[in-house]
Amino acid sequence: MSGGGLGCVIVAVDGGEESMNALRWALKNLKLRSTPPEGSLVILHVQSPPSISAGLSPGAIPFGGPSDVEVPAFTAAIVAHQRRITDAIIAHALQICSDTNVNFERKVVVGDPKEKVCEVVEELHADLLVMGSRTFGPIKRMFLGSVSNYCTNHVQCPVIIVKDTN
Amino acid sequence: MADEAARERKIMVAVDEGEESAYALSWCLKNVVMENDKDTLLLLYAKPPRAMYSALDGTGYLFSTDIMATMEKYSNEVAQCVMDKAKRICKDLKYVKVECMVDHGDPRDVICEMAEKLKVDMVVLGSHGYGVIKRAFLGSVSNHCAQNINCPVLIVKKPKAAATTTTSSAN
Repeated sequence: MSGGGLGCVIVAVDGGEESMNALRWALKNLKLRSTPPEGSLVILHVQSPPSISAGLSPGAIPFGGPSDVEVPAFTAAIVAHQRRITDAIIAHALQICSDTNVNFERKVVVGDPKEKVCEVVEELHADLLVMGSRTFGPIKRMFLGSVSNYCTNHVQCPVIIVKDTN
Repeated sequence: MADEAARERKIMVAVDEGEESAYALSWCLKNVVMENDKDTLLLLYAKPPRAMYSALDGTGYLFSTDIMATMEKYSNEVAQCVMDKAKRICKDLKYVKVECMVDHGDPRDVICEMAEKLKVDMVVLGSHGYGVIKRAFLGSVSNHCAQNINCPVLIVKKPKAAATTTTSSAN
């Protein structure tokens, strides 16, 4: 079975350490196709749209003023901040990949993480999706993160969930 | 990624009577298992729990011991069949150790317990691909295992379309 190997592997990364662990695990344990067309690893980061991740909503303009005017500078500041977060995540991920001779690509999309991951998997016809999964709170082992759960149920390709090893 | 893995890995693959787990096994062999002698493949089959029938059931019929013995024998034959099928898929591997295990009980619990007890490095499951309703009634083994096993879990779904070229090379 030496002719096997994966063509396109998508690793979904976010700001959490678990997804970086998932990336490291993927680099160590998977076989990418070495015969052309060569397999590649796609580092995917889904950036939440500014309005949601802002977490704070700018106060409505009081006294009956226009209520749906965006304050341009404010939105731009949030977008710039998001972009910095994204860059840091991607840079960290690339650094992890840097000492392997893996053919990798990066992809950043904006939107709801669960849905965007599924869309990108379909769009790129991925052979495998690798995700980390966070475990929250005292009920740690009972629940899979909502993004991992959603993606496991909705993508058509195989999925690997890598959890943090404690 | 093409480098030789320096560590030994134990990869557990849960098999059952369905096609999805056979597909998961062959996918795993093509894409995860390295052709060196560092990997051990553990094939696990969970036999449905032995129903404890009392000798006298509610309708007044007596279940003879013959019937229970027959059912037990049938269940063993199914287990043997599943294992043989799985071993046949693995037969081309030269350097990988293959071990088979059969246990009784609900697959969800059996898989999780075995994964912890044997401290495997990875668990591979097929997925029956139930929709929402079936999932609600039958439950999902792959979902349960993905939540409760600590090591990486690989869930392989069989593509609904006609077999792609990658799967036809498995046989």
